[in-house]
Amino acid sequence: MLQPNPTAAMVRPRSNTVLGLRKTIRQTLYILGTRHWSFTAGVSIFLAVICVLILAQWIAPYDPDAQELLHRLSGPSSLYWLGTDQLGRDVLSRLLIGGRFSVSVAAVVMVISATFGTIVGVICARRAGGMVDEVIMRTVDLLIAFPDVLVALVIIALIGPGSMTLILSLIVVAWTPFARMARSLTLEINSKDYITAAEVLGCSRFFIIFRHVIPNVYRPLAALTFLRFSHKLITVGALSFLGLGVQPPKSDWGAMLADALRFVDRAPLLAFAPGFAIFITALAVTLIGQGLEIEDESKNAKEESHKDFEPSAKTTKGPNS
Amino acid sequence: MLKFLFQRLVVLLAALLVVSILAFLIPYLSGPEPAQMIMHARVSDLAVDPDTIAALRVQLGLDRPLAVQYLDWLGNAIRGDFGFTFTDRLPVSVHIKYAFVVSITLALSALILALVVALPLGAIAALKPAGKFDNAITFLTQILVAIPEYWLAPMATLVFAVYLQWLPSAGWAGPEHVILPALALALRPMAYFTRVMRASMIDVLEAPYITAALSRGLGLGQTIRRHGVRNAMTPVITLFAMWLSGLIGGAVVIEVIFSIPGMGRLLYEAVVNKDLPVLQGTIMCLVSFAVLMSTITDFIYVLINPAVRIKDASA
Repeated sequence: MLQPNPTAAMVRPRSNTVLGLRKTIRQTLYILGTRHWSFTAGVSIFLAVICVLILAQWIAPYDPDAQELLHRLSGPSSLYWLGTDQLGRDVLSRLLIGGRFSVSVAAVVMVISATFGTIVGVICARRAGGMVDEVIMRTVDLLIAFPDVLVALVIIALIGPGSMTLILSLIVVAWTPFARMARSLTLEINSKDYITAAEVLGCSRFFIIFRHVIPNVYRPLAALTFLRFSHKLITVGALSFLGLGVQPPKSDWGAMLADALRFVDRAPLLAFAPGFAIFITALAVTLIGQGLEIEDESKNAKEESHKDFEPSAKTTKGPNS
Repeated sequence: MLKFLFQRLVVLLAALLVVSILAFLIPYLSGPEPAQMIMHARVSDLAVDPDTIAALRVQLGLDRPLAVQYLDWLGNAIRGDFGFTFTDRLPVSVHIKYAFVVSITLALSALILALVVALPLGAIAALKPAGKFDNAITFLTQILVAIPEYWLAPMATLVFAVYLQWLPSAGWAGPEHVILPALALALRPMAYFTRVMRASMIDVLEAPYITAALSRGLGLGQTIRRHGVRNAMTPVITLFAMWLSGLIGGAVVIEVIFSIPGMGRLLYEAVVNKDLPVLQGTIMCLVSFAVLMSTITDFIYVLINPAVRIKDASA
């Protein structure tokens, strides 16, 4: 249905990129339209936020660091849509640039921890009940309840602040839920007939993991990734708020919020705006995660209900057989 | 089952031991040598005579092998002695004891508030999955999870403390000081409790004893209160214990915003002031508490879940 039109490509070879772009957009819209509303809403908001953050340099009305000392702490106006801060810098411009740090740090942390946690979980499931599994899973039990702000705080205290330290210290805790979930999902799948069949056919462990296990566990894990993403975003903001995340002269939403609190009674919008930005981004990611989770659940439910109509093991073992 | 609990305990204690080694090594991992740091903490003169530092090193036993020092330190730590702080020269244990009580008060108030709201919400959502109420409640939990507490707290302070002047804006003096921070802390656990309660309630409602109670003529409300909630609560209790150990110390930002002298702020100030004995003490205290809670949760799980108990008796 969405195949490229061959005649159009032949007649006007130059417009290939335009056609390709149109096709991508149409396809994206089509996919979005068929998904759970929560997923659609989340993806739309999140894509909008990402676009704004990438294009921030060009769409920001002012230089985010330009100080206009005559217009300090001015309220919203036609010149400054969200007002100015204590140094007369445009809040809207700073807001657009300020999201880059939190969102990129949280994204890097999530990608690394999801990958690492999944690998650990799958390996643990392979050796379920063994020493390695026991030690790793108890570590997970202990770390999973541990607040990541605390761990990050201690590690930053030891090594000193910086984006690399921040990413590292967040990963220390962030991989644990993935390991636990990947392990239990893999255990569930390992008991399925098609795994036994693959084993009987002589498939290698790696083949089974990549061909059968990963495709079956990635959906709930993807949902978990997005759900945890929002939490990491908030944590990065919290550390910046405490002065341990982003370091000056760079700034982000958490640091802006902390700076604005000194003037909160005179310029409430100054503190409201960056917090709201964190909230909207976190909400978008949560919506994506929740949408994926609901879709996964309903898919599983469908599979279960199909099973009811299939001849079950019990009936085939009945008196007629 | 007892063997399983014992095994868990052994592994957790081993983990605690590893953490204690790391905590002990903190002064050696960060910056200059410990004797020099202690000297700097005592006198503001940065160019202290090397002989004085050497004398201090001998006096404090810092010239002994690391293993001996560690055992010495661990022995004291088990008795609750972490030495004196660098900043006000009081015993670290005095600070920790006070901060721990403050933190546990705050965490318990927040979690109880969360539980009181979450249990009915989760139960209502479970009655008709994907129904109107369920969708609304699910959306509400998503919003609760996405709110940064360090944004909500100042905004709530602005409204309730500055504009309306109903509540104090910061400090820790009476029950009215607990309300705003507890509210800010309660939102995220509230969302998680609701989700878990909903999921477990959906499972419970399918159980035969619910059908039995309903067919006996017990009203829907009564059935849910008597049979549903009680049975669905087990996973929520587990989560409650997890959050309790998480919020003690994990409430750093809120404690800093409201200047509450709890564990989180103690740790934060130790980090900012490079007060290493306090850092060691709080880390050990928090990890021990996490281990304790984890063990208690396992025991509770065995105690309130008859299925596990019966299996154990028959095995």
